[in-house]
Amino acid sequence: MDTPSQERPVNAAHPRWQELTFTAKRFFKNPLSTIGLTILAFFVVIAILAPVICPPKFSDPYKIPHSGWTIAPSPPSAQHIFGTTEEQYDLLYGIVWGTRSAFRIGILVVGANLVIGILLGALAGYFGGIVDEILMRITDVFYSIPYLVMAMALVVAIGRGLTAVIIVMIILEWPAYTRILRSDILVIRNKEYIMAARASGSSHFKIILRHIMPNAMYSVLILSSMNIGTTILTAAALSFLGLGSQTGTADWGQIVSMCRNWIIGLPGHPFTYWYTVFIPGFVITLFVLGWNLLGDAVRDVFDPKLRRK
Amino acid sequence: MNLYSFIVRRLLFMILVLAGVSILVFSIMMILPPGQRLAAYVTSERVTPEQMDAMIAKYHLNDPAPLQYVRWVGNILRGQFGFSVTAKEPVIKAFSEYFPITLELVLYSTPMIILVGIWLGTLGAVRKDTPIDHATRVFAIVGYSLPTFWLGLLLIMFFYGFLGIFPPGVLSNSMRTVVTSSGFHRYTHLITIDAILNWRWDVFLDGLYHMFLPALNLVIINSAMIMRLMRSSMLESLGQDYMMTARAKGADAKTLYRHHARRNALLPVITVSGLTFAGLMGGMVITETIFNRTGIGWWMAEAATQLDVPAIMFNVLFLGVIYVVINLIVDIIYAYVDPRVRLG
Amino acid sequence: MTAQQHLVEVSDLSTNFYTFEGVVRALNNVALVVNHGETYGIVGESGCGKSVTVRSMMRIVQTPGRIDGGRIVMFLNPEDKEKGIDILDRSEVYMSSIRGKDVSMIFQEPGAALNPVLSIEQQIAESYQFHRMDEMLGLTISRLQAAAPKAGPLKIWNDFRLSLLRRELAAYEAHGERIRTIDNELYRLEDASDQASRARKHELNHERDKPVRTSRLVGFVRRVPFLRRYRRPLDRTLSAEIVDLLRSLGIPNPENIAKRYPHELSGGMQQRIVIAIALACHPTLLIADEPTSNLDVTIQAQIVDLIRELKETAISSVIFITHDLGLVAEICDRVTVMYAGDVAETATVRELFRNPLHPYAQGLLEAVPKEVQESTLTIIPGAVPNLIRPPSGCRFHPRCKMKMDICEREKPETIERGAGHFVACHLYTKDQSND
Repeated sequence: MDTPSQERPVNAAHPRWQELTFTAKRFFKNPLSTIGLTILAFFVVIAILAPVICPPKFSDPYKIPHSGWTIAPSPPSAQHIFGTTEEQYDLLYGIVWGTRSAFRIGILVVGANLVIGILLGALAGYFGGIVDEILMRITDVFYSIPYLVMAMALVVAIGRGLTAVIIVMIILEWPAYTRILRSDILVIRNKEYIMAARASGSSHFKIILRHIMPNAMYSVLILSSMNIGTTILTAAALSFLGLGSQTGTADWGQIVSMCRNWIIGLPGHPFTYWYTVFIPGFVITLFVLGWNLLGDAVRDVFDPKLRRK
Repeated sequence: MNLYSFIVRRLLFMILVLAGVSILVFSIMMILPPGQRLAAYVTSERVTPEQMDAMIAKYHLNDPAPLQYVRWVGNILRGQFGFSVTAKEPVIKAFSEYFPITLELVLYSTPMIILVGIWLGTLGAVRKDTPIDHATRVFAIVGYSLPTFWLGLLLIMFFYGFLGIFPPGVLSNSMRTVVTSSGFHRYTHLITIDAILNWRWDVFLDGLYHMFLPALNLVIINSAMIMRLMRSSMLESLGQDYMMTARAKGADAKTLYRHHARRNALLPVITVSGLTFAGLMGGMVITETIFNRTGIGWWMAEAATQLDVPAIMFNVLFLGVIYVVINLIVDIIYAYVDPRVRLG
Repeated sequence: MTAQQHLVEVSDLSTNFYTFEGVVRALNNVALVVNHGETYGIVGESGCGKSVTVRSMMRIVQTPGRIDGGRIVMFLNPEDKEKGIDILDRSEVYMSSIRGKDVSMIFQEPGAALNPVLSIEQQIAESYQFHRMDEMLGLTISRLQAAAPKAGPLKIWNDFRLSLLRRELAAYEAHGERIRTIDNELYRLEDASDQASRARKHELNHERDKPVRTSRLVGFVRRVPFLRRYRRPLDRTLSAEIVDLLRSLGIPNPENIAKRYPHELSGGMQQRIVIAIALACHPTLLIADEPTSNLDVTIQAQIVDLIRELKETAISSVIFITHDLGLVAEICDRVTVMYAGDVAETATVRELFRNPLHPYAQGLLEAVPKEVQESTLTIIPGAVPNLIRPPSGCRFHPRCKMKMDICEREKPETIERGAGHFVACHLYTKDQSND
C-alpha cells in the first residue's frame, strides 16, 4: 500500500511465516510479556537443573531430605540456604524440585484438557444436533458446581496424592475448553469459506483440520495460557489442605501447609520463622505471575480485534 | 418474547440442571464402598459392625445404582442428609450452625469486591496508559496470581503477629459467651445483624473486627478479575460509535462516561459479579481454614481430610443449587438491563 | 454572483494522528469556506481526510489524533453575521455547548451510532436536555399553570412542583444571561491579541465554563425518591416534543417508535432517528458524513430527499461527505475534492463537472461510467499513499499523468482560476508566474 508496485520488491516469504514473525514482534513489544517470559525461563532452567542444584537423597527425588527431627524450623544457614520447614525439611530442595512438580501439574492438566476440549468441542460445534445438545447439558452441570469444593469431593472419593489431584483437575476443567472451542467453531462454521470448501467436495475431516482448526485455535490457546496459572494455584490449595501429596514431598502447596503453626513466631519476635512462610508462597506467586503475564500477552497478541492496531 | 416467558424458560432449564447436578454428586458417592456410604443414612455416632451390616442390607446399599439414586433423592427431599462425623451431629443441624458464618462474610465481602473492582477498572480505562492505569493493572495481575492461602497467612503474620490487631476466629471469647447466653436472641443467626437487633454494639464491633482480615484477603484476590473485566469492557465501550454521537450531541464529559460508556460496560460485569458471589460461597474453604472461622468452608476442609462423606455430598449439592439459582437471577437482571437480550 | 455570507472558514488546518507505527499526517494545511444556505460537498477516496476534516471542525477527532495548526472560524452569532470566532481557541465546554446546537453531525453507520441500551426517546431527549432545557421548562410551567387544580392536596402538590420547576428555570436563565454577557465581551475582544486582552479572554473563558448553578433545594429534592416525581411533567413535555419531531421527519407511528430500542428498527429508520437527534435543536450547520453509504439505494434516495427538504425549512447549510459523484451532482451547490489530506480543487458543482482542472479531479470524472461508454473504463493508476510517509511536494505526483519535476519538490499553492474556482496544482501556478 505504500508506493506503486514497481518501486517495492514483492515479499516472497510464505504468509504463515510472515504471520509468525509479525506475532513474535508484537509479542515482544509489550514489556509485561518479556517479564513473564523471563520469569518462566528462569523457572525452566531451575527445573532442568534440579538434580544439579539439589542432588536427590532418596530413590524418589521428590522426597525432601530432612536433617534431624526437631520440630521448629531452622533459619537459613550455610547448610540450608533457605532454611527449613518444621521437622527440618530443607526448603531449597523443596522449592527446586517443587518447580518440577509445578510444571508437571500445569502441563499435564492443561495439555489433557486441550486435547479433550478440542475433540469434544469440535464434535459438538461441527456436527451440532443432538450430540451438541447432550454435551452442552453435561457442561452446564459441571459448570454449576463450585470448583474447589468439587475437587475436594472427588479427591475424597478417588484418594489422595498428586496424581489424584491431576486427574481431578482434568475432570473438572474440560468443560471450559469444550465450550470455548465449540462457540468459536459455531461462528466459523457459517463463514463462506467453509461453504466453499464443502462445495468443492472436501471431506468433513479435512475441513475441520485445515480450515476450521487454525482459526478456532486462538481462543483456546488464550484460555489455556491463562489457565495454567489458576490450575497451579488450585493444585497448591488442594495440597495445602492436605489433599494432595504427602508430607515431605517436594510440592509447593504442601510446603506452605507445613508452615501454618509458625506464622506467629516467638513472643516479641513475630517474624522469627518468616522464611518458612514467605519463601514458598513467594515462589508460587512468582511462578503463577509469570504464566499470567504470558497469558495476558498471548491474549493481547491474538485478540483479533487488537491485532492490526 | 418478553421478560416473563424468558424467566419461565430459564426456570425449567434450571430444574434440568439441578437434576444433572444430583446425578453427578450421586455418581461420586457410588465410587465409595457401601461401608462409607452408610454414614449418609446414620443419625447417631456409634454403630457396631453388626449394626452396620444390618443397615447396609436395610438401606439396600448393594442394590443397582439407579434404584439407590431414586431412594437417595427421596431422602433428600424429605430432609434426611445423614450424620456428619466431623461435626458430630446430623448434617442439617451442623449446616444451620455453620452456614450463617460463611454467609455473613460473603455478604460483607461481595459488595466490596464488586465496588472496588468496578472503581479501579473504570479508573484504569478512563486514564489509559497513565501511571494510574499501570498501577491498577499491576495490582490486578499480582492480586490474581497470589495464592489465597499465602496472602491470608501473610496478613495474619503482619497484622496479628506483628501489630497484634485483627485476630483470627469469629468472635473473641468474651463476646462468644454473650452470644451463647440466653439473653441474646438469634433472629437471623448472622452475628453482626443479631448484635444490632439485640442492641449489643460491642458484639457488633467485635464481629466486624474479626471479619476485617478475611474480607481484605478476599477483596484483594477477587477484585482483580472484576477490575480487569471492567477495564476491558469500558475500553471497548469508549471506542464505540455511539460515544461519538453522544459527543456530537454536546454531552459533557461526566454524562459521556457515566451515562453512556459505563452503562454499556457494566453489562458483562453483572454476570461476573453474580458468579463471584456464588463462587465465594464455595471458595471460602481456604479463607475459613486459615482464619479459623467455622463456616461451611472450614467444615468442608475438615470433612475432606476425614472422609466425612455426607457432609461433603451435602455441601456439594447445596453449593450447586445456590450456583444455579444465582445464575438464574443474574440472567434475569441481565435481560432487564440489556434490551437486546429479550428478543433472543 | 452575490456575495455570500460565510458560515465556516477553515484555513491552514493540520491534523495528525500519533499512532504506534508513526505520525499519520492526515490533514495537510486544508482550507475551505462554507457559506450560509448552501449544500457543500466534500468528495474523495477512502482515507483522503474528508471525515477528519469535518471532525476537526467539530473538534471530535478521536485519539490519537490532534489538531496541530490552523484556524477554524465560525460565524454563529445570529445578530452579527460578520463576527466570527476561532473555535480552536475555545474550551471544551464551549465546544460542548455548540455541538448539537449550532453544528450537528450524522454518521455513516446509524446502527452503531445509537446506544443500544437506551430507548430512542431517551437518546433524543438528551439533545433537548443539553441545549433547550430553559425552553422545555418554560413549556412545562405554562402547561401546569393552565391546568392547575383549584384547591386541596392536589393544589399543594402542583404548587410544589411549579415552585421547583421555576427555580430550575431561573437557574438556567441566570446562566444564559451570564453566558450572553461573557460572549459579548469575548466577541469584542476576538481579534485583540495584546497581553491584557489575552489575559482577559482567558479569564472570561474560565468563567464561561462554570456549570449551571441550581439552588441547593432543587439539588436535594432531586435525590429524594418520591419527591423526585416533580419532574414528571417535564418528561411528558419532552415526550410530546420528540413525537412532534419524529412526525415532522416523516416517521410513521412516532409514539410507538419513541419507546423502542435501536436494534428493533431498520437501517433507514435508524438513520432518520440519527437525523432527528441532530436536528432537535435546530442547528445552523448539519454535517453529513457519508450518511447513505451503508443503506440501499431506495432508502438512500429517501434520506437524500429528507435532507434536501430540511435544508429548505430547518437548517441553513449542509456539508455532505461522500465518495459518490452522482450524489454530489444531485444535491450539492459547491464541492471540494480532497486527496490524501490535501485540498485538490474547489468549485461550484456545475463548474467542476464542466471544467475540472486538477488531474485527480479529471481522473475521477473520467472514471465514472457514462451512458455511452466507448472504450474500457479509465482508472487512476496506483493506490492511495501511506500518510505516515506521504509523497514529497504534491501528494498526488506519483499517480499524476502530467507530473513535472517541480511537483516532486514543492507543494502547489492554491490558486483561484475563475470566480470561486480554486485549484492546487503546479500546472496552473506555472501559468500564472509565467509573465
